[in-house]
Amino acid sequence: MNEERIKISQDLLSDGFGVIAASGYINNEGGQAIADAANKLMGQGCKTLLIDLDGTRIINSIGVSILLEILEKLMDEKGQLAFCNLTPTISKTFEIMGLVQYASVYPDRETARAAIAGDASV
Amino acid sequence: MEVVLHLPVVPNVELVAAKAVETLGGALGMHQSHVEAASVAMVEACLNAMEHGGGPFTVRLRSDVQDSRPCLVIDVEDHGQGFDPATAPQNSAARVIGSSMKRGWGLTLIRELMDEVQIRSTPGNTLVSMRKYVESSP
Repeated sequence: MNEERIKISQDLLSDGFGVIAASGYINNEGGQAIADAANKLMGQGCKTLLIDLDGTRIINSIGVSILLEILEKLMDEKGQLAFCNLTPTISKTFEIMGLVQYASVYPDRETARAAIAGDASV
Repeated sequence: MEVVLHLPVVPNVELVAAKAVETLGGALGMHQSHVEAASVAMVEACLNAMEHGGGPFTVRLRSDVQDSRPCLVIDVEDHGQGFDPATAPQNSAARVIGSSMKRGWGLTLIRELMDEVQIRSTPGNTLVSMRKYVESSP
């Protein structure tokens, strides 16, 4: 089950745009690891956060509940949350749990960056 | 094909059951997205069994190819105090966004991700029985 252990990388790009790449099982530990990375980026001025779940195939509702808390925190800061590289099941789970009603979903990182950059220029 | 797992309450044991779903679903020729949906439902059923079952629980998986619609059948059984499935709340995004109570999604996800779900619960025995058809809607 080692391949399910969450692996996280994070990067703060220009204009308050942050990216977290997370692969592995998003359970309470995985969700908290993403939340810790998000808090760190937000502390550095991140207002737009993209979470790239390439390599994540299994999640649970406890982990997704933690992602909902990240969403609320960003909404409180007038920021925005986006996801990319979701499997169909993760996308459906996010839809059921309300994440996609408040966050944007893109097929891949390049599309997400282009769309977010376009939003910022409006 | 049948797999029976007697699982202890230890961290991440639900992944053992999810791996069994992957193996049997793959052997049935189930589409990967259907296997993943059944795996997430299995994980949620195991988490409920661990949280409310009060001890070790049992997972049974079998393929049903006799029916006109071949499917993967998953049973998760625990021995907790039980609950009334008819009054179990259906969770919604509107209820949790902005609320401090974000848990309670297990049954909602199971019902949405699987094709058929039956729950029988009495004090001391709860059985969640789920089916995912090989040819299923996404």
